[in-house]
Formats: sequence, structure tokens, C-alpha cells
Amino acid sequence: MADSRLTSPPILHRPTEGRPEPRMELPELNIQADAGLPPTADEVVVFQATGVNVHYGKFLALKDVDLAIHRNEITALIGPSGCGKSTFLRCLNRMNDLIPGAEVGGTITFHGEDMYAPDVDPVDLRRRIGMVFQKPNPFPKSIRENLSFGMKVNGIRVDDDRIEQVLRHAALWDEVKDKLDQDAYALSGGQQQRLCIARAIAVNPEVILMDEPCSALDPISTLAIEDLMRTLREEYTIVIVTHNMQQAARVSDRTAFFTVQQLDGGDRHGILAEYNATERVFRAPEDPRTQDYITGRFG
Amino acid sequence: MATSTPTSADIPAARPLARKRARPGDQIFHAAVFSALLIALAALVWLLISVVAKGATALDWDFLSSQTSSRASRAGFLNALKGSVVLMIITIAVAVPLGFAAATYLEKFAPLSRDELRVITRRRRRALELRRAAGELTGPRLLASRLGIALSAVWARIGPPLNTFVEINLSNLAAVPSIIYGLLGLALFVQIMGISKSLLAGGLTLAILVLPIIIIASREAIRAVPRSIEQGAMALGASRWQAVRSHVLPAALPGMLTGTILAMSRAIGETAPLVVVGGVAFGTAVPSINPLNAANEDLFAMPLQIYTWVDQPQEDTWGPLAAAGIIVLLVTLVVMNLLAIWLRNRFTRRW
Repeated sequence: MADSRLTSPPILHRPTEGRPEPRMELPELNIQADAGLPPTADEVVVFQATGVNVHYGKFLALKDVDLAIHRNEITALIGPSGCGKSTFLRCLNRMNDLIPGAEVGGTITFHGEDMYAPDVDPVDLRRRIGMVFQKPNPFPKSIRENLSFGMKVNGIRVDDDRIEQVLRHAALWDEVKDKLDQDAYALSGGQQQRLCIARAIAVNPEVILMDEPCSALDPISTLAIEDLMRTLREEYTIVIVTHNMQQAARVSDRTAFFTVQQLDGGDRHGILAEYNATERVFRAPEDPRTQDYITGRFG
Repeated sequence: MATSTPTSADIPAARPLARKRARPGDQIFHAAVFSALLIALAALVWLLISVVAKGATALDWDFLSSQTSSRASRAGFLNALKGSVVLMIITIAVAVPLGFAAATYLEKFAPLSRDELRVITRRRRRALELRRAAGELTGPRLLASRLGIALSAVWARIGPPLNTFVEINLSNLAAVPSIIYGLLGLALFVQIMGISKSLLAGGLTLAILVLPIIIIASREAIRAVPRSIEQGAMALGASRWQAVRSHVLPAALPGMLTGTILAMSRAIGETAPLVVVGGVAFGTAVPSINPLNAANEDLFAMPLQIYTWVDQPQEDTWGPLAAAGIIVLLVTLVVMNLLAIWLRNRFTRRW
């Protein structure tokens, strides 16, 4: 699919006073489901993290992470609780800005530009880097309003065709087409989560971050969302945090294994232990800690 | 079904199930808490019965529709009713917008730290320089923009400690005796601002009296909306204000309104601050219900009228009138509280 946005990424939007210009023409969404899992050896780096440290107040949550995330791939972040994988994910759309006391050190670039430069507008950044949360968090409004809100704040024209397109893309259309004006909380948990994915897609992001999107869902809904992720990979870059190693092995192209480092003084912080193609991480891990974790010896 | 299911009799070591036994501690505690409830209810029932017995004969259409008088046989409740309506309108009009806005600020914007405020200021300054270089800003508009940025730099310094100070004092303010608010109203509105001792002065005084209550209740309601809703909106590229306005406030509104109604039912029964601000209970002029005239109307109110009637020496003639007034006030309060309960049950969402 030809998409000018992907071949020449626009520079990060600098805030100006007043409303932003209406956005560019939207590319047609690709609706056909993708059956297989073709390897996408795309070497374009979307995010490059270098020496990333995250503090919550005085507590060092994540230490010295170097990681490159590639375009049109699914990158899984796995590891035991408290290893900082969700923290790292939230650095990628500056969601940590909203947590009082959180401080991100080191550099993270998005298409080569420093995301944390003082004059970069985090609001515009978050439009381009969508996020799906651990617990489904639809707005307490109708399904239609859940989708139209993001489009409205981003100057995208809202019409029924676009809503249908987005819902089909999120594999939700057939289940909700007769109840678009009903409360989103009447949907099941899995449907709510797909609605949240649809809501993220509706603003036409380049990247979708998913923070344990299936942890609150039953196995059937989980499979539906994994299928959806494989389809979405065609057009989006996906970063997913998961507790579920099978899920990481099933869906991801690359896997980053985070773990907890315990220092002599009793301080604990998260580090990146290993990052490689998913196949290698699970078949022939280089780091003994990865080996221990994936074979279930701890975690 | 297999018949070999083992029962306790088959297992020699199993202890048989214990029989029921009395637990006197439970019964005593049950009796104690129940009698506490009865004592509280008894006082209320006694009040209701004595008031209704005394006031039922005086409570008729004449009582509600005739104005107050120095002769008990002719005196009615009309001035007080209309006065209270105007007071409520003024109090709502002043306290609700101020209270909701203050609660939104304290809950959603005040927590911004000094560093975050500095970043915002830097960002604005940079944007201003870009626009100035492009020649979009000149003359007075440039000056105004610069002034705004200077102010936001000052705010980054003094804002966070000031917010902490306000936070600490807010709950204290809600507990200040109402007569103190009366004195404040007298000093501020009547003496300094020069408003006559009128319904307007009374309404404004009641507004500052209920303001802390409304702010605290609204903050609770805003806090009850999960942060994930706001974060979900911001993850879509909404600004904080867009997220708060479109999702947090609508979801919190039923709770905010419930708190407001409860605050109003406190305001409608307040007597002491109105006495201080210059409340009256006798007079020829019936206040008009139009709140725009409130500055020229005598300060009548239901609780003031009742208080004055109860205070009269001839209890036989004035007593029934006071009792009838109390019935009217109580009915109003019950209706307001029912409305608050209904709002809460109808619209409150479980997350």
C-alpha cells in the first residue's frame, strides 16, 4: 500500500498557538484480512532508545535501555513483574509525562528526531503513536462517540463510512453494526478492547502501543485480538507488552526480554537483558536469565 | 449416582458437625446498635409529631399565600417563601460555576509540578519567538503575549506551594461556623462593596458559605472517574482540557450535582449568617421572585421567619405559625434530598 507518510516521515509537529491545520487526506484502510505471517524484513527504525533511564521520584525503575523498534513489525516486551516493560512502553508516547514524579533520561528518537526535545508537542506525538491499555477503557458514551472523539480532536471528518471502515478493520463491525448508539460499557470485555483498538486506529496513527491488551480477556477474545494484530502489522508498527510468553512467541517478530536486577544495596531496577528476533529468543536465548524465564524456572 | 460416596460416619477420625450454639456477644452487640438507631429515630419522630400536631391547623393556602404581619391571625409565609427562592437562585448562580471550576482545577490542573509548568512556559516562549520571527505578532498583541508568558513563569514558581496551601485550608473552611460567614458577608458585601442589606447580600453570603462544600463534593465526584478514561483520551492526541471537558466532567456531573443539592439543602436552612447580614421577618414589601431585583429586596427567608416567630413571647398565637413554617421547610428539604438520592442512583456508574 502506497503511503507517503511511511516513506518520508514528517517531522514532529511543533506547537503553534491556535488550532492545528486540518490533517492530510486519509489513506484508505486495507480491509482484507491477512491470513499468513509473512516475514517483514523492514529495516526502517521507528524508535531508537539509547541509554534510557526512568525514575519515579528517587526510585530508578528502568536502567540503561538501548533498543531499536522496526517499522511494520510486532515487537513484544516480556519479563517478570516490576521489570519496567510497561514503563518503557509508556516512554514511547510520553505517557509518563502524565505521571507525577516520572522522569525519563537518555534519548528516544522517533524517526530520528528526539521525542523528548523541550519544544516537541506531546499532544501531537500521542496522535501519531496510539495506545491500547491493559484494562479496556472505553469512554462512558456510545460506540459511535468512542470512535468520533479522537477523530474530532484531530480534525478528521467523522462520517458513517469512516466509522464502518474502522470497525471492520478492528474486526468488530459485524458484532456492533446494529448498536452503534448504545453504551460502550454494554459490550463484553473483548469487544471493549477491540473498540479501544478501533478508537486508536481511527485517528490514523503510525504506531500502536499495547500494554498487556489481553490480560483482562478470555482465551477466545485473546485469539481474536492476536489475529487482529497480525492484520494490523501490515500498516502499523506494533509494540506489545505481555505477561504471556506464548502470546509473544505467537505474534511477535522481535522480543525484548526485561528482567529485574537486584543490587547489593537492596535496590531493584529493571534492565533489558536480551533483544533479538522472537525465534532466537525462544529457541536459542543468549542470556541465561532469558533461558531461565522462558523455561519457567522463575518469573 | 454412585452409592459409595463416603460420609463422615465411614471415617472414624472425622469430627461430627457442631450444633448451633448461642453467641451472647453477637446478640448484645446487635441490640446495642439497634437501640442506637432507635434513639436517633425517636428524636426525629418526636420532632415530626410535635411539629405536625402544632402546625397542621395553621398550614393552609392562606398561610402560604399571605404576607407576613405583626398580627398572628393575618401573618403568612409568602415573603419568606419568595425570599428563600431568590436566595437559592443567587446561591446556585454564584456557587455552582465557581465551585465546579475550582474543583476541576484542583483535581486536574493543580497537580502539575513546578517542572511541568516550566516546560509549558518554555514551550510557549519558543512558540512566541517563532511567530514573532514570522512577523505574525506585532505591537500590543506581542506585548500581551509576552506578559502572559512572564506570568506563567511566575506561576511556575509560586503556583505549586499556593495550591498546597489552598488544599489544606479548603476542608477547614467547610467546618467554619456559619455565623463567621455571616460576619464575612457583612464586611465584604455590605460594608466594603456597598450592597444594601438585601436578598443579594444574603445570597452572596450563602454562596461563599456553601462553596467549600460544593468544591469538596465535586472533587470527590471527579476523582471517582478513573484516570484511565482521561489517559485514554490523551493517548488519542487530546489535550488535557479536551480530555477533561469531553469525558471526565460529563462522567462526574451526576455526582457533582448530587453534592450541589446537598449543599443547597444546607444553605436553605441557614439562619445565623442571614441574621448578621441583616435579615428581617416583618415588613410590608413582598420580595419579587426576579433575582435581578434582589439588591433592592428585604432579606426574607424561611428559617429567619420561623426563628422570629418562635422568638415571640405569645407562644399560643405564634407557635402554630412557626410549626407550619417548619413543616414547609422540612418538606422542601426532603424533596431536595430525594432528588439528590434519585440523581445518584439513576446516573452513577460503576467502573
